[in-house]
Formats: sequence, structure tokens, C-alpha cells
Amino acid sequence: MSAIDSSTPIRTATLRRSGAAQSNSLFALILVAPCLLLSVTVIGYPIFDVIRMSVFDVSRIGIVREFAGFGNFIKTFSDPVFVQACWQTLVWTVAVVGGTMLVSIPIALILNEDFYGRTIARTIVLLPWAISLAMTAVVWRYVVNGDFGTLNMTLSALGLPFDGYPWLADARMAFILEILVGILVSVPFTVTILLGGLTSIPETLYEASAIDGASPLHSLRYITMPLLWPFMQIAIVLNVIYVFNSFPIIWIMTNGGPSNRTDILITYIYKQAFAFGKLGNAAAGSVVMFAMLLVFAVIYLYLTKARGAQDDV
Amino acid sequence: MSKARKSVLCWVALSPFLIIVLFPYLTMLSTALKQKDEIFTFHRSWLPREFYLGNFVELFVDRNFGRALVNSLTISVGATLLSLAVAIPAAYALTRMRVPGNSALTNYLLITQMISPIVLIIGLFRMFAYFGLINSLMSVIIAHSAFFMAFAVWMLRSYFATIPKDLEEAAWIDGAGRFSAFVRIFLPLCLPGVVVTAIFTFVNSWNEYAMSLTLLRDVSQQTAPVQIAFLTGTLYQIEWHLIMAATLIASVPVAIVFASIQRYLIGGMSLGGVK
Repeated sequence: MSAIDSSTPIRTATLRRSGAAQSNSLFALILVAPCLLLSVTVIGYPIFDVIRMSVFDVSRIGIVREFAGFGNFIKTFSDPVFVQACWQTLVWTVAVVGGTMLVSIPIALILNEDFYGRTIARTIVLLPWAISLAMTAVVWRYVVNGDFGTLNMTLSALGLPFDGYPWLADARMAFILEILVGILVSVPFTVTILLGGLTSIPETLYEASAIDGASPLHSLRYITMPLLWPFMQIAIVLNVIYVFNSFPIIWIMTNGGPSNRTDILITYIYKQAFAFGKLGNAAAGSVVMFAMLLVFAVIYLYLTKARGAQDDV
Repeated sequence: MSKARKSVLCWVALSPFLIIVLFPYLTMLSTALKQKDEIFTFHRSWLPREFYLGNFVELFVDRNFGRALVNSLTISVGATLLSLAVAIPAAYALTRMRVPGNSALTNYLLITQMISPIVLIIGLFRMFAYFGLINSLMSVIIAHSAFFMAFAVWMLRSYFATIPKDLEEAAWIDGAGRFSAFVRIFLPLCLPGVVVTAIFTFVNSWNEYAMSLTLLRDVSQQTAPVQIAFLTGTLYQIEWHLIMAATLIASVPVAIVFASIQRYLIGGMSLGGVK
């Protein structure tokens, strides 16, 4: 992959024309400026504002009053619903990411094989990626609807006793279903990354090991898995980032209910801000989430950097 | 093992997942073509009684769903144009010139790509409220551009890097300025990459939910995904036949477009996204 790392040719080209380098880099900055400006305004300022609100007393309508120190954080952390939402976020993230990896690895391995209709199979596997999470959630909410949903209709037709079973009324079952939908929508992205990894493994390795008498299972265990591991790491970290603050599935399917038993941090924060008007609490919760996101992002940078270094050797 | 036998095995192994993926589509299609009384009954079946298109008519004539589609389209086109307008020069500078602080900038963009807007939603809401842009499609266009731009820069960069520098240099020698070499030589060569990036940004913007939900409070300004979710929030009997017709309209065209570019996406991801 280092072949597409373009920095080296540019550097030599710039050195060749070092006289123009000064004005060139000014021009380069001008080209980058609009992009940076948009990003710093729309992403940077809200970051600052949320951090500020988290340490100030904020009124219902958003007027920032006196400095509150860690007051908002203490209030938030002592809310039993927040603590519950933290645990549920952990369960949600681990279950969705773990499940996604378990489902995606075999799918990627199969799609990497040469078989009839592979393009069609691949298109279907990637299909959930194309659709709005909000609409996926709406459709699944209907599918599992106890009285009118197509799931119970199909199960009854197969002779199973699920007629009228209210899937989303029981918090535990609702959460399991949401996790399954979460897995379904994360698989396409993960399979894409893993397929990229699989195509990067040179065919000669398999040929050599076959000559040495290795069974396909051995090749899978000792060639494919170790070489795929860096891609799995990246897929895991990116999925953790996306899943941990995924909002639409839970918001639309159960709205965190029944009785907050399917709330995760992000739905908790959203309710604090836009339903209860507790902006200070919501900001404190957002800062906690933002800090966790940054940790994941740093892990991701570290992983990709380490990979890049390996590639260059 | 013959290829035919292997194909059967592969399809069988994939089938549980494929069925789960296709199940919602069949549900959408079957329900959208049914009449109301076919849904709220004890004896239901997958096949509609007749090929009934009345739900679509009701959706557009009585429920003004066309308005939501126009809103979505305005936002997606606007966000795509704005993010490309800022991403193309940035990606060009990052691949072709020495930008001071190049790696810091690249890492910054990468991190913004990972920040979910929902974590900052209170800050975003307050900022756009300050400028009086709540309920204005402009707010969502700007917000989408800011959050989807990093990915656009990332993808464009990997396409730009594949275009040989010699061609532009030849144009410079022939007396073309940097700008005209960029427009006449460079852009046409990387047009496919630009198109794929544009489509991907469009799809992302079309599908986005949380920001549109929060920044557009008025029903007449809602986007299609928000309006569809909104329709399920009624206290009365939820009109699933209309909702499924709406999801079908709002998702199938986008899914077809997405399916047609996914091949490039796999290339772009493994070039830019992972590295």
C-alpha cells in the first residue's frame, strides 16, 4: 500500500523547483484554507461550546450562567439512569462489534472465493450500507411489530407459535433485536475492509504452503488469519467508534424504552438536552463521550501508523 | 472441487445473511402494495390482493411527501457541491504541493471524520440558532458538508495520487498556467474519482438522520428519513402501508446508485480509508 503514498515524488519535485517553494506553499495554504475554515467553524466551535457548557450552569433555554466546576459532571454521574445507560452502552458496543466481526469474517472469506454469481452476492451483502439507518430502523420496527409485522406473519405461517408476540415490549428482547439490526448494518463496511485485506495477501504464499503439504484449514489458520489481523484491528476500532455513538436505530425502534432499559449514552444525552432541557447535564455527558471518541481515534491513528511503518520496511 | 459445486456451497453458506438483508425489502414491497384493510387483519399474507398503487398517490397528494423528497434533494445536492468545492482544492494541494503542516492536517481531517455529529449536537444546535438558521435547509447543508468533507478529501487524495504528474508538467512547459492545467488536464483525468466521491457524499447526506432531525424542527422542512420516522410516532394507528411506500421511494433509487459505485468504493476504501 505504500505504493500510493505520494509524499516522496512531491518532495523531490518541490526540491527541484526550490526557488518557487516559498510562494508555492503559500498558494497551497490558500487552497487548503476553505476546507479548514469550514471544519474549524462547524466542528471546532461546537466542541468548544459543549466543553464550556459542561463546566457552567446553563439555563433551560441555553443561557450560560455562573461557573459550576464539576457540578454538572457530579449531577450526571449520580443519575442512576446515566449509570444504567453507561452499562447498556458497553453491552451494545461489545455485542454489536463482536457480532459484526463474527459474521463478517466468514462472509469476507466466502466472497473472496471465486464462485458463480459472486458480484450479485457481494452487492446484496453491501446493500444495508446504502440505506439510511433511520429507514432501516423504521422498517425493522414494522417487521417485528407484534400484531401486523411480517416476522410474526412468517413464523406463524411456518407453524411456530409467535402470533401476536410483542417483540419490542420486553426490554431484553428489544435490546437483542436492536443489537442484531446494529450488526446487520455494520457488516457491509466491515466486509469491505476485510476484503481489501484479503486481496492484499499474495497468492504465492498459499501456493508455497500447498506444496509444503498444508491443508486449506492450516493455510487459513497460519497464513490468512495472521495477515488479516491488522485489518481486523482497524475494522474493530472503526466499528467501535461508529457503533458506540449510533443514534437512529435505538432512537427509532424503542426510543430508549421500555423504562430506559434500552437507552445508551447518546440517546440519554439527546433526551437530557431536547426533552428535559437539562443542557448542563447533556453537555457533561457529551464531553465524556467526546473524550472516549478521542481515545478511540488515537488508537486508530496508532494502528494505522504502525501498519504504515511496517509497509515501508 | 468443481466451480459449480463450490458456488452452491458458497451460496448456501451466505444464504442466512442474504435472507436477513432482503427481508426488509420484501416487507417494504409487499406492504407498500397492500391496501389498509389487508394490513390490519388476522389473515395476512406476503402477496398483496392486487397490484395497488394507491398508497403512493395518497403519499404525494394527501401527505405532501414530495415536499420531504425535495428538501432531501436540495440538502444532498447542496452538501455535495459545497463539500466538493472545498475538498477538491484541498486534496489537490495535499497531493501535488508541499503544504506546511501536511501530516498534522491529515491527522486532523482523519479525526474529524471519526467525530460523530450527534456528540456535538447541542453545540451545533446552539451555533445555528445563534445565526438564526434553525429550520433553514442551509444549516443542514453546511453541517453535512463539514462532516462529510474529510471523507471526500480522503477519497479524492487517493485518486489524485494515481494521476501522473508528467501530464501537467508538460502543459506547464507548453505555457499553460497552473489553473488552466488543473482545469483542462487534471480534472478531466480524475473525473471518475470526483464523480464517485460526489455520489458517496450525496448518499451520506441523503441518509443522514440526527442532524436533520435536530436542526429542522418544522414539519415542512423535514427531510425524507426524518419525516418517515416522524410518521411512526403517531399515537393513533400507525399507517404502515404509507410508511413502507415512503421508505421504498426514499431508499430504492439511492440503493441502486450506491450498488453501481460500490466497486469503486472498495478500491477507494482500501487505498484511502484504511491507510
